[in-house]
Amino acid sequence: MKCKSIFFLAIMSLLAFGCNEIDDGSYAEPITLYEKVNGDWSLMNLKMVDEFAKTNKIKPDEQNLSTLFNYADFKINFSVNEKMNPTSYEVTGNVPPLFPPKGFWKLSSAFQPTDSSPLKIYLYNDEAKTKSIGEFRVTSVPNSNGEMEIQLVRISGGAAFISYVFKLNTIK
Amino acid sequence: MKKIIFTLLMIFLLAPNFMQAQPIEAGDISSIKSYPVIYAYNEQVTWTFDLSATTFSPGEDLYIWIWSPSEPDAGNWTNSSDFAKLKYEGDMRWSFTLTPTLYFSKTPAEIAASAGFWFRLKDKTGTKQSGVGNVAYTDFSAFYTANQMIKSYPEKPLVDQGVSILFNSNLVPGFVGVPSVHFHSGINNWNVLQEYQAWLPDISAKTQLKDLGNGFYKMDLIPSQYYGTPAGYVMENIVFLMVAKDWAATSPDQIIYAGEFVPPPPPEFSYFPLQISQKDFLGLIRKNNERGINKLTYTVTAGTKVITGVFSGNTAEIKGFINLVSELNGIPNLKEIHVVVKDNTNRTISDTVITLKVLD
Repeated sequence: MKCKSIFFLAIMSLLAFGCNEIDDGSYAEPITLYEKVNGDWSLMNLKMVDEFAKTNKIKPDEQNLSTLFNYADFKINFSVNEKMNPTSYEVTGNVPPLFPPKGFWKLSSAFQPTDSSPLKIYLYNDEAKTKSIGEFRVTSVPNSNGEMEIQLVRISGGAAFISYVFKLNTIK
Repeated sequence: MKKIIFTLLMIFLLAPNFMQAQPIEAGDISSIKSYPVIYAYNEQVTWTFDLSATTFSPGEDLYIWIWSPSEPDAGNWTNSSDFAKLKYEGDMRWSFTLTPTLYFSKTPAEIAASAGFWFRLKDKTGTKQSGVGNVAYTDFSAFYTANQMIKSYPEKPLVDQGVSILFNSNLVPGFVGVPSVHFHSGINNWNVLQEYQAWLPDISAKTQLKDLGNGFYKMDLIPSQYYGTPAGYVMENIVFLMVAKDWAATSPDQIIYAGEFVPPPPPEFSYFPLQISQKDFLGLIRKNNERGINKLTYTVTAGTKVITGVFSGNTAEIKGFINLVSELNGIPNLKEIHVVVKDNTNRTISDTVITLKVLD
């Protein structure tokens, strides 16, 4: 009896799964945000936001720096390897070092976060990505217009007091 | 020899370019005042130009380059004539005094039919120029047929600015054929007086109206100068009557109400942002600047490092950002910076210590 029922279950399993081969073509990695973020970006606009003033509703709370300090020439490259994994990043354009101009990077999530947590770009000093040297909030993910907005936030004692908003345009 | 020919060639090729070099734009004229406020084209007038919003230097030698109704200094762009020179009045104001019919060699009718007074202000050699200016002319000919005894330009005068008062004596009995007409007056309901004192020749002259012919007269004055009021005096009205020589006839009492003086908004200096770290830009912003204030000079002391520089602007705003990001990059143990900001008169605008935020 015992043997019979096991045998029966085995047959049933074979019938259900065994001969059913799903034909979904060759295997493909899912498309990640790295495909959108990697590449060369030029600066459309740089805004300095006084987060302390903004929180306390004091004006002015932002200033445009786009035309100052050579920022018109600002460019940034986010590189990936052949497997679409993030490698190094580099800033060109002889601008003041608001953040280290060279290093390594990765996203906080390879996919658009489904909760309210912001997507971030983490910056590292080393290829192994153990020594953090900063981060950006991605306030606007790359869209069909080839635009992306990233925000560098200055935080002291847990409170943001300044941020720099880089509006970027992809270089084709 | 070749070298000489080459040099000469270069001079001939390049010289016209130098001469045609585009002048630097110094900015627009903020305002133009005429005194007398109204005048005939054959009457002497002084135009005063407010150049506080331009980059001309206080007291700089400036010239008028006027091409309408005619171009008296034609052909001399790179070497303006002395007759076109302006007079510096202080406080970034320059004036030019002329009698239009003489200066433009035109009749009043020709000037009236022209496009008006169009010009630029420039330095002697034409390397700098203001924006194009136009002196507005007030045509008062309608007064002759308006059947109105008194008319004031502007309607509501200000204490420190010119006023012209027209008088049609034909509408007042007793004025026909009088030798002269005088302005017997005071301001703020006779609080400060300038009476017609017929026995004093200088007062008679000072109070005498200009005879425009056919019984029409004009009085031109700047209240603060005419009445000698102290600075800050608030004028509410001018009260007066027109008096024929030796009080042979008088007009009824008249009153002209003064315009309201609107003080300019006070200057406002601020740093941007309100809190900074060693790795941020520091902005200096000064709005509603006083006349002639167009530069901010800063000195930032951070430990042993001293950063200096200057930002330019105008009366509306002077703004600039100090690159602490590069200048203080990598300096260890900085806790604060000392910032001193001065204006172009060397007056201290701000002298403060800013604590640098430590980043998490």
